[in-house]
Amino acid sequence: MTTSVEQVPDLGNAPQAAMAPVRRERRTLGSYLFMPVFLALVCAGLYLYVSTRELGSIEKRALTADTIGNAVWEHIQLAGVSTIFVVLIAIPLGVVMTRPFTRSFRGILLTLANIGQAVPTIGLLALLALGVLGFINVDIGFTAAIIGLVAYAVLPVLRNTIVGLGQVDENILEAGRGMGISKFGVLRRIELPLAVPIILAGVRTALVINVGTATLAAYINAGGLGSIIVAGLTTNRFTIQLTGAVLTAVLALLIDYLAGIAEDVLRPKGL
Amino acid sequence: MATTRKMRTAAAMGAALALLVSGCGEDEAGGGGGDGGDLDGAELTVGAKEFTESKVLAQITAQALANAGATVDESSLSGSATVREALESDEIDMYWEYTGTGWVNILGNETTDLPEDLYGAVAEADEANGIAWLPNAPMNNTYAIAVNSAFAEENSLTTISDAATFIQENAAEGTICAASEFLNRDDGLPGLQTTYGMEFSEVVELDLGLVFTQLGDTCNFGEVFSTDGRIVSNDLTVLEDDMEFFLPYNAALTLSQETLDEYPAIADIMAPISEALTDEVITALNSAVDNDGETEEDVATQFLEDNGFLE
Repeated sequence: MTTSVEQVPDLGNAPQAAMAPVRRERRTLGSYLFMPVFLALVCAGLYLYVSTRELGSIEKRALTADTIGNAVWEHIQLAGVSTIFVVLIAIPLGVVMTRPFTRSFRGILLTLANIGQAVPTIGLLALLALGVLGFINVDIGFTAAIIGLVAYAVLPVLRNTIVGLGQVDENILEAGRGMGISKFGVLRRIELPLAVPIILAGVRTALVINVGTATLAAYINAGGLGSIIVAGLTTNRFTIQLTGAVLTAVLALLIDYLAGIAEDVLRPKGL
Repeated sequence: MATTRKMRTAAAMGAALALLVSGCGEDEAGGGGGDGGDLDGAELTVGAKEFTESKVLAQITAQALANAGATVDESSLSGSATVREALESDEIDMYWEYTGTGWVNILGNETTDLPEDLYGAVAEADEANGIAWLPNAPMNNTYAIAVNSAFAEENSLTTISDAATFIQENAAEGTICAASEFLNRDDGLPGLQTTYGMEFSEVVELDLGLVFTQLGDTCNFGEVFSTDGRIVSNDLTVLEDDMEFFLPYNAALTLSQETLDEYPAIADIMAPISEALTDEVITALNSAVDNDGETEEDVATQFLEDNGFLE
């Protein structure tokens, strides 16, 4: 194991002592380096494999540096933009849904989020492309793909926001209010910071989901690495399929790795 | 291989009918042997690929053979992607294959070294595998470029050459919707553009099913298969491939040589039926299934009856 988990012994001050188990993960340099090195090796291996194959005209067209670079960039945009929208929608929604005044329609909102994830993304993309959802009239392509991805990935972030805010000890909130902090102040200074680790875990899940699901965008002219995979499948060319699939996996692992670092950095001190 | 009672009855009725009309049946040299239907006592299995057209063709064949006295196993009519393997391993006796598929996918040739007589070349080469190809039907289920009929009329487009000229003059309107396979194959878009010396202004990559709905909306031109029933329902016009770029995909019944040697009557029964299967006819049959929700079985019966193949 390259990760060292260190129990924090100095729980001197009262608010921290009142909280659920506290631990801090400090990763060693080696553990930070492992994933990028591993992924670089995978890419190098893929390059070596492909370059030793005898490539036909179809492979040569589908596997140019240009096509692959474009596909990777499109894929990052799809996953990135959709996750930004997921965060902008799901976290405020999660906050609102944990406030007492929303109790009456909380169920409906959660059901909607569940439907978003339950509906198969490929079906939703097709519906968007067909203009069946008349009220959202979007052009086929990037916008439609983003809508499909956002609908699919809202649930994990929303759920984690609700759980993260819900697990904050009632006594701390009471103490905060007792000290004269406003409702909004309690939310901003106590609840949200304490919920950040769980919310971030949800965002990380959403990111990885989006990298995977974005491969389906190839079917509606939104490009991405999916178009390489689909090209390989429809022309029965293993080398193309392998390239698309391995690059998607590498991208997902890389983004998960970066999100992990972001988690370490963004986690409030002392948690 | 459980034969359903229904099928047995049908076969019996077919045999009885064949007896009644035996005056019309040709005298087969070394045929089925019985003096009733030409295929009395024959037990045959007809396979199909997993899409509508192949299943319709299989139904037509199965019913025609049953009509001639054969007992046809219904279990394989629902279609599968591994039908060629099934034929080679004698799990089925026959299915409809396309000449282009035979040349490229089965025999492993390139699309560039196309023989003059594709059917002849494929049939001859496949003999080595013990597979016989009956003469192909006129229907040709190949790639095609389609446009909205109104758009075609407005700009007087009838051939792909017309389209090439149109795109040269109206660069912004040369958008094409196509599925991934067409965009990547040598005998798809790359070769098409070279042959006709044109370049579509924008390529929109879609799932094949979405091409039909986006034609006229996202793009003016679309890749389709020439006998697809949705050409009818979406009121599309197929542009003629005047430079004969696309590989011919004529349908032909393929069967093991053994089966054909045992029941040579199959070739005679299928010849007139195959001849009647033109692009228009098969497109209409596909449309009846895909658009009107009829079963392949009913559509096949209707076709055989209308053309007098079911006496």
